[in-house]
Amino acid sequence: MPNVFAVPVFFICFRECLETSIIVSVLLAFLKQTLGLESDPQVYRRLVRQVWWGTGFGLLIVIIIGCGMIGAFYGVGRDTFAPTENIWEGVFGIIACLIISLIGAALLRVSKLQDKWRVKIAKALEARDTTKGVSGGRFKRWAEKYAMFLLPFVTVLREGLEAVIFIGGVGLGFPATAFPLAVICGLGAGALVGVLIYKGCSFAKLQIFLIISTCFLYLVAAGLLSRAVGAFEADKWNKEIGGDAAETGSGPGSYDIRQSVWHVNCCSPALNGGGGWGVFNSLFGWTNSATYGTVISYNLYWIVVIVSFVSMRYYEQTGHWPLMKGKANTVSVAKPTTTNVREVSE
Amino acid sequence: MAMSLSNFVAPIFLLLCFSLLSRAATVTYDFNVEWVTSNPDGQFERRTIGINGQWPIPAMVANVGDRVIVNVHNGLGDWTTGLHFHGLFQNGTNQMDGAMGVTQCAIPPGGDFTYNFTIQQPGTYWYHSHVKGQYPDGLRGPLIIHDPDSPIANMYDEEVVMTLSDWYHDEMRPLMADFMSVTNPTGAEPVPQAALMNETQNATFAVQPGRTYMFRIINMGAFAAQYVWFVGHTMRIVEVDGVYTEPAEANMIYLTAAQRYSVLVTMKNDTSANFPIVGSMDEDLFDAIPDGLNSNVTSWLVYDDSKPLPAAEFVDEFDPYDDYELVPIDAMPLLDQVDYSFNLDVKMDNLGDGANYAFFNEHTYVHPKVPSLYTALSTGSEANNPAIYGANSNAFVLQKGEVIEIVMNNEDPGKHPFHIHGHHMQLVHRSEDEAGLYEDMNVTQADFPATPMRRDTVLVRPNGNIVLRFRADNPGVWFFHCHIEWHVVSGLVATMVEAPTELQSTLDIPEDHWAACRAQGIPTAGNAAGNTEDLLDLSGAETSPDPLPAGFTARGIVALVFSIVAAFLGMAAISWYGAAPLGEVAMQQVQKRVAESGVET
Repeated sequence: MPNVFAVPVFFICFRECLETSIIVSVLLAFLKQTLGLESDPQVYRRLVRQVWWGTGFGLLIVIIIGCGMIGAFYGVGRDTFAPTENIWEGVFGIIACLIISLIGAALLRVSKLQDKWRVKIAKALEARDTTKGVSGGRFKRWAEKYAMFLLPFVTVLREGLEAVIFIGGVGLGFPATAFPLAVICGLGAGALVGVLIYKGCSFAKLQIFLIISTCFLYLVAAGLLSRAVGAFEADKWNKEIGGDAAETGSGPGSYDIRQSVWHVNCCSPALNGGGGWGVFNSLFGWTNSATYGTVISYNLYWIVVIVSFVSMRYYEQTGHWPLMKGKANTVSVAKPTTTNVREVSE
Repeated sequence: MAMSLSNFVAPIFLLLCFSLLSRAATVTYDFNVEWVTSNPDGQFERRTIGINGQWPIPAMVANVGDRVIVNVHNGLGDWTTGLHFHGLFQNGTNQMDGAMGVTQCAIPPGGDFTYNFTIQQPGTYWYHSHVKGQYPDGLRGPLIIHDPDSPIANMYDEEVVMTLSDWYHDEMRPLMADFMSVTNPTGAEPVPQAALMNETQNATFAVQPGRTYMFRIINMGAFAAQYVWFVGHTMRIVEVDGVYTEPAEANMIYLTAAQRYSVLVTMKNDTSANFPIVGSMDEDLFDAIPDGLNSNVTSWLVYDDSKPLPAAEFVDEFDPYDDYELVPIDAMPLLDQVDYSFNLDVKMDNLGDGANYAFFNEHTYVHPKVPSLYTALSTGSEANNPAIYGANSNAFVLQKGEVIEIVMNNEDPGKHPFHIHGHHMQLVHRSEDEAGLYEDMNVTQADFPATPMRRDTVLVRPNGNIVLRFRADNPGVWFFHCHIEWHVVSGLVATMVEAPTELQSTLDIPEDHWAACRAQGIPTAGNAAGNTEDLLDLSGAETSPDPLPAGFTARGIVALVFSIVAAFLGMAAISWYGAAPLGEVAMQQVQKRVAESGVET
């Protein structure tokens, strides 16, 4: 029987598509719940379009780069991306982690607003002129305005390139016939999860849905940061041993024992497509070979998250950050109670 | 570099004459081992270990029955040294075998040391340092033992010594440090920069038409085996590692590190062309072939020095003579009554320091605190207990007269040349590549040759197996090791303790041997740990690093639990924030922002 289904390729496509579709579906569900049912279909449609533009544009760039790499591989005869693969992964990982974290907090915050205020703030963001003001503020406003574009764009770019690199790494041993079905099934399965999330969240209350999905996004982001640190460390290790450590499998030599916190000679998310461990890795940042860097960055990330949310709540109530002096005028206004805001705005 | 054949022949001829006059002479060498500079491949000048200011170091030449005295002065200044006379049985003089840390303490810088032994066997040998990793820095030279009663004396007209070697531009100590390091987890051996013939390249041998020469070919390399062929000529193999063989025709031979062959080559009767002699390093041994590496070295049979020296043509494939087929001239039969058989299973693995080590039966060799010979001499009847030599000595105790069988399974995908000190071994079985374990092969004694080939260095193929036999007729503590020097460094070594009780009553250690130990504070009595009271107490012995931790250690579990707790606390914070209503201040900010943007409220 000819080989028509490359299992590692399926797993790569599945897990890379999974992360993308989680983010896209969370964004779409969020928009639908906050704006779609309400009064302003125009703003809603524009923002939904931003999400799809971001996804599509990211996909386009991935396809172009992917074709270039395949061309380079067969033309020049070598894997041009491989030597810097870990650097790319690390940089993209950190960027994606930052964006997911910032937008995750923003979405959660918006969900706490009342419906009509959500529409208003969305419109306000749309209307803001991005050409004026100091450069830092301008970038912030630009980023706020196009957040719905940026997040899927960066995610697709990162996941897509990773998929291309991984498939380039493991897939070359397979005949061309083994690819189409595996790629389609992988992407399909990933997309299906996205659709299920989107559908599922229609039943939930917005706030509950957003709390759950934000938790999930932060899990992904923590994993991304940890993996990014791991990627930089892997790059350094590869340089030290003068080769590709992944060639040694998951056993001795595939990792720097001086940095190791735990290492199990199995369950590698990188080897041969990673299988289920790869999925586990992209959702929760699992690694079979944890280092001081990856463990500390993972825990540090959660500490920063905890401190940030506690501070945000504190700020929202008092008008100043913890351990800082509040401005005189805000203190006099704010009598921190938890219920008065809704009453006032009603 | 041109070399006339007569340079080699003249001293040999003179010695032959001497030997006819008196059959047991004393041959004395005064060797000052010191650093010189050399550039044998014309690519790179480097510090090299020479003797008496010279490199290549001189050939040692003697006759069977001669007494050889070698006075060694260590003039290196920054390294210990010593000499091992590779292949000599040293029967009755085990203490002169020159295995550092086994039969003697290394000679400290500035120290003097005398080797004094009687030659018991004819053939082609070599001498080299047995200080870990030292000989590839230059301390390696031919050792030729002539035989007044040679059965092949009338088969050739002249003899020529031809050494093969590999050459590194870096010194061994930094190379060893890189090799045994956490950043070389696969144990990739450093690849030499050049192949050499007679420690140079493009050597010429002036030959006479119609004459038959016996080439004594010695591979003195650290690592690389070499294929050797004489373009346009065939060889007849007549000796391997000091064992005369029935002449066997060969177009190409394969010499692992430390192997020797004597081959007869008869010259053509016309002088119209000169012919290359090619040595080609076996690239299968190298993990990666560096750009620009020339694995070949060429010399020439020069019939007419006015004619050009033609370049060697490429060969389609390497098809060397299989030395398993050789038959010793003495027709010594198969040792068919085995008294003691044991396995040596070879594998490579990483230990807790991350470096890649070589193992015999789960133990990598680590030098004991007390040289094993001194342990054997100082422990009375306990010397027959292999445990006292330390687990990392891989010691086996052999009793006098026993027939020993070593079954070796090479569970490593590399080729290894195994060498035993003090003996020739019968190669009774050798598998092809990838044959797996000997135990699974259904080979019986009926499959063994009636007169097996014997030699002191035997190749085992990748993931293959061999069976070796020898009679324990030579009391002594004998090293058994892979002769790839990198694998000596990574521990592919065992110790054969042969008839220790007899050793205790026969061996006398000269004073300068004890002095070498004293100068370096090395204990000379007791077990591997230097304990003289309780010989079974090996606490304090040198051991290998612990194995790599497998799976989750306490540290890993703590880290994983912390990470999970952190994730849950983080998600709790998110939920807590998300469930709480927006604070008053924040609400005001939103209102302000919307108002500023001009969107109607």
